[in-house]
Amino acid sequence: MILGLYFLPSMSILHAETIKIYAAASLTNAVTDIAKLYEKQQPEVKIVTVFGASSALAKQIEAGAPSDIFFSADQDWMNYLVQKQKIQVNQVKPFLFNQLVLISPLQSKQQFKAVPTFNFAQSFQGHLCTGQMESVPVGKYAKQSLIKLNWLNSLNGRIVGTDDVRSALAFVERSECQVGIVYKTDALISKKIKISGVFPSNSHHPIVYPLALTQQGINNQSAVKFNHYLKENAQAKKIFVQYGFGL
Amino acid sequence: MLQCDFQFQYAEFNLKVKLQMQKQLLGIMGASGSGKSTFLKNITGLLQPQQGSILLNQQCVFDDQKKINLPMHKRRIALVFQNAWLFPHMNVKQNLKYAENLCPDQNKKFSFDQIVDLLQLKPLLQRASYQLSGGEAQRISIGRALLSSPDLLLLDEPLTGLDYKLKDQILPFLNSVKLETQLPMIYVTHHADELAYLNAQVVYMDQGSITEIPKTH
Amino acid sequence: MLSSEEWSALYLSVKVGFFATLFCLPFAIMLAWILARYQFRLKFVVEALLQMPMVLPPVVLGYLLLILFGANGWIGQYLNQLGIQLAFNWKGAVLASMIVAFPLMVQPIRLSFQMINQQLEQVAGSLGASPVRVFSSISLPLALPGILIGSILCFSRSLGEFGATITFVGNIPDETRTIPIAIYSLIQQPDGEQGAMRLVILSILVAFGALIANAYILQNYQRKLGGKDAAM
Repeated sequence: MILGLYFLPSMSILHAETIKIYAAASLTNAVTDIAKLYEKQQPEVKIVTVFGASSALAKQIEAGAPSDIFFSADQDWMNYLVQKQKIQVNQVKPFLFNQLVLISPLQSKQQFKAVPTFNFAQSFQGHLCTGQMESVPVGKYAKQSLIKLNWLNSLNGRIVGTDDVRSALAFVERSECQVGIVYKTDALISKKIKISGVFPSNSHHPIVYPLALTQQGINNQSAVKFNHYLKENAQAKKIFVQYGFGL
Repeated sequence: MLQCDFQFQYAEFNLKVKLQMQKQLLGIMGASGSGKSTFLKNITGLLQPQQGSILLNQQCVFDDQKKINLPMHKRRIALVFQNAWLFPHMNVKQNLKYAENLCPDQNKKFSFDQIVDLLQLKPLLQRASYQLSGGEAQRISIGRALLSSPDLLLLDEPLTGLDYKLKDQILPFLNSVKLETQLPMIYVTHHADELAYLNAQVVYMDQGSITEIPKTH
Repeated sequence: MLSSEEWSALYLSVKVGFFATLFCLPFAIMLAWILARYQFRLKFVVEALLQMPMVLPPVVLGYLLLILFGANGWIGQYLNQLGIQLAFNWKGAVLASMIVAFPLMVQPIRLSFQMINQQLEQVAGSLGASPVRVFSSISLPLALPGILIGSILCFSRSLGEFGATITFVGNIPDETRTIPIAIYSLIQQPDGEQGAMRLVILSILVAFGALIANAYILQNYQRKLGGKDAAM
């Protein structure tokens, strides 16, 4: 009887249709909420969410990770997978927008002006946290803005690159870093930090979140339907907007 | 000279000794397990009696009433075992010098060359510890003990484990040591003939107590 | 031959490994001695604590280090006032390596001490050597093989240390990006595989070099002590 119980869950999964969506870490809350909503409406569907830095996810998909939908935080990593022929170019749809902000722990008195003349490096002590600048989207955007504002060089050795944007957020929440660069949507979720500045959108590449079915996903009917849902459904869109994403 | 009166207990075993050395060399004979090694350990300071006192040359090294317990390295009592226990990471000369260096110059009783000559160690000086026969190692062990300038030399069955030929070689060395250094010595053995050769005062140890037997001649 | 980032990773790895080994040594020798020579009631607790870093996931260790020694940590905040910073700093990487590698260093040293026949130490004492002198002139030299092995193991473990390090001190080029972390970063980058492979080869070479040096030193020392020893 115990053996039977052991087999029961796997049998139920066999019956359900599974959708695997690999999404950027900054989408964690929004996509989780939408997935739950969808599962309620479509009980025979099971959505498996994998969140992380778009760079790490893209590398995994390239290496063969089973993924139906890829929801990236920048175009570069989506194009990377198109290049590696894991995604067809005509499947890609730029979908959401985001903003880049500077955050600090609540008690900090950090103020900043997004102009090159502002002595950013001197305006705070300790380290600045953001995603790894060579690979993680938020880090790449951050690097672009810091270069544009001529602040990057003076920050030598003080930048801590994390694996994804949520880790950077966590460091600032713990006050391990006095300053962090994350997306506006991440800043809005946390109660332990405050936004101390916004990077002007012309200081970095447009923060666009493209969405696409993978080669595997095209053949998964449930995935196709869910992909459509994400893009078109009014309730889904409302959730994205609530979290601060632009459409 | 050693003078002691103490009691030492460990588990079931009870050691009770009262003696005074009369001659330069005291021989202790007794069956295995009778307490000879335990006795020696109490004298050097590896073990502490529960009760009693131990005096060396009228100086107290242990007294439980007066709360005196001189640590082993301060008692100036050298020990030679059945096994030479030469330090394996030093050659023969270094082993000997190690002991010599532990004694401040003003207290030195013997010179390096004196001991080397006495025990004929010269050809062995540069050898590594593992390049020695049993007899050679034992001579070096004795020389090392002497170079630490002890006030009392303890020998715990030093010739056991050597064949008769070697014993016959080393006994004369021990006798020379006794005569030349005039050091008080306590010699533990199974063999009465060794003690006879060395003209020892002999006592017996039996189940933890000393009994004296009258001299036979 | 090596790019500047690769030199930086190599230099950092060796620097962190060296200091971690250096600082672990006195503590490891002390603890190994105590465990080898003494019996006491709570000994099994000490032994269990010693094994903890080998059993806990490195990330857990890193996180604990962050809680304790981070800029805002329980101990870290006081260190901060003294000007000592460990998080996001190569010194923190040293601490992380020390914690994970410490048990690996203690064990061989302890075994070495246990293998020394205590009669040798007692003989030295009877010749007039104080306990400290016995330790430094007899016990420590005879335990040298174990100390060497322990040091090599510590250094090697430190070279490969990743989870605790990246959690505690992050991934900062020229500061905390040791070879394993550099490899990890390269794998995340588009077409970083080649660079990653070069670093993999580099780490194999460094580890192999350390092991060869170790074996050579051991061999010479064994020769000095001779074939059959009473002591070991």
